[in-house]
Amino acid sequence: MYKLIDKIFDTVIKLLTLFSLLILVFIIIFIFKESIVFFKEVSILKFITGRKWNPLKSPTDLSILNIILGTLYVSFVAIIIALPIGVGTGLLLSIYTNGKWKVITRGIIDILAGIPSVVYGFIGLLVIVKFFEAVLDFPTGESVLAGGILLSVMILPYIISTCSETMDNIYKENLFSSEALGTSKIYMARKIVLPESKKGIIAAVILALGRAMGETMAVMMVMGNTPISPKLLKRAQTIPSLIALEMGMAEVGSLHYHALFASGLVLMIMLLIINIIFYYIKKGIHVR
Amino acid sequence: MKKCISVFLLVILIFSIALTGCTKENPSGATGEQNGAETTGGESGTFKAQITFNGSSTLAPVISAIATDFIEEYTTWDKVDSSFPAENIAIYVSAGGSGAGVKAVLEATSDFGMLAREIKDEENKKIGDPRAFTLGIDALTVSINPENPLTKIRDDLSMEEVKKIFAGEYKYWDEIDSSLPHREMVVVIRDLGGGAHEVFQKSVMGDTDVREDAIQAPSMGALVTKVIENKDAIGYASFGMVNQNKGKLIPLKVDGIEATKENIASGLYKISRPLIAVKKGDLSPEQQAFVDVLVSEKGSAIIEQMGYVPMN
Repeated sequence: MYKLIDKIFDTVIKLLTLFSLLILVFIIIFIFKESIVFFKEVSILKFITGRKWNPLKSPTDLSILNIILGTLYVSFVAIIIALPIGVGTGLLLSIYTNGKWKVITRGIIDILAGIPSVVYGFIGLLVIVKFFEAVLDFPTGESVLAGGILLSVMILPYIISTCSETMDNIYKENLFSSEALGTSKIYMARKIVLPESKKGIIAAVILALGRAMGETMAVMMVMGNTPISPKLLKRAQTIPSLIALEMGMAEVGSLHYHALFASGLVLMIMLLIINIIFYYIKKGIHVR
Repeated sequence: MKKCISVFLLVILIFSIALTGCTKENPSGATGEQNGAETTGGESGTFKAQITFNGSSTLAPVISAIATDFIEEYTTWDKVDSSFPAENIAIYVSAGGSGAGVKAVLEATSDFGMLAREIKDEENKKIGDPRAFTLGIDALTVSINPENPLTKIRDDLSMEEVKKIFAGEYKYWDEIDSSLPHREMVVVIRDLGGGAHEVFQKSVMGDTDVREDAIQAPSMGALVTKVIENKDAIGYASFGMVNQNKGKLIPLKVDGIEATKENIASGLYKISRPLIAVKKGDLSPEQQAFVDVLVSEKGSAIIEQMGYVPMN
């Protein structure tokens, strides 16, 4: 009797797992199928190295190098801003706080990750963009920098939690010996915890990079969505916002429509590579 | 190993059953052959209590408002026409852009598609048997911020100037008139593939490209907000939006013609686009009843209230 129940349970669980795997496979097949139509007309190389995106003109005017660069640029700006803050907060959380305060601070930071991105975008539009225009007297506040600042706030929780997880372990491992030697906490933080958690920090950066590149709504609201080659104080466009912006309007079955799927495929491949790197780095941490 | 294979086969089986359901359904409503002037009392078999709309985000709030009014007035179908069964009226409106509207009609996911542009020939061909209802006209006005000093010297731009501004030939405001400050023009447009831009491209730009570094606003609301917030901005705000935000942004005359209801309706004001509801095949009587309301005086009044120019 129990054997039968066991068997049923076993099968059901396997089915459910397989189902979620199949969903992924279906999504990939679907996007691939839709974009292959485009690649029959325009070569892949041309698509990712050309600089002009103009869906109203001839199909040769659909290429996304500027948009890929924009995606990478804004993500890197976000990481450069968020990394020092994230690493510092991680250090503080794992070395200087414990008990109740640690739980509360972590909780608050986790809430930061739960705020919907439209809300971030709204704040970005009314605060950051407005600040650039009113105080710094830019002709327009929409810029890569504005997107980067906004994204840095959004990826901060991911950097902090990944960093402090690694740092926690290292701190606990070395606490006993370090106390026995009578070193100060700050010395320990600088000479042991920080260098030892290098891999954890890299993992955090890569996780955050993936997250930043996929962000749509908030970035769309503060970047101006202009497919020109990105400069820090000028406007730019990212792949997710390109798709969100134009998918609703594209005529079904047109080359423009398929080109949007193709740019989705490019983004997916980029994210896949990043996730694979993340996996290997994370594996390296646990082996140690 | 055997178990693994059996599990795998089972899954394939389940999926093949599930996927057989995915064949294309015949569009409902096409069966209503004998709806000749209400001679037959009730076509009980084909009656559908709900009507769905999908498409242009410009038209969606209009249809939504008329539908709300319609439902409040009648509640159940039998009050609209005694030959209908006493079922609750349900009208669903969702927005996803003009392209999505055509797509919804093609794939029969919605009864009606909403478009804020002309239906392309290609799309007409794909639908095969389209029934289109032009409900109103929306015009695009070339609008600037009220704080822009240009408003003090003139209220008029020529078509040529508008074209040059959006093409990027004029980069600073003082290039239009030397008394204006040397500040960069901030050109705001909708996304290049969208309905609004298509209209603007066709009626103003012609073959010229819009400058590459123009800001692409994700919605008409965002475009208007940008013009209201930024005093160097210029963009093509829709006539409806300008009326809703009167005083916060200033529409300019183009070639001396002001964007007024009369000028838009008569076609004198050139930068305009139709608002269309389209359906594949014949309408069922209940759909016809709602469309009648859309083009009625009352529907037109709501269309006008929302800031567009009604057709009728």
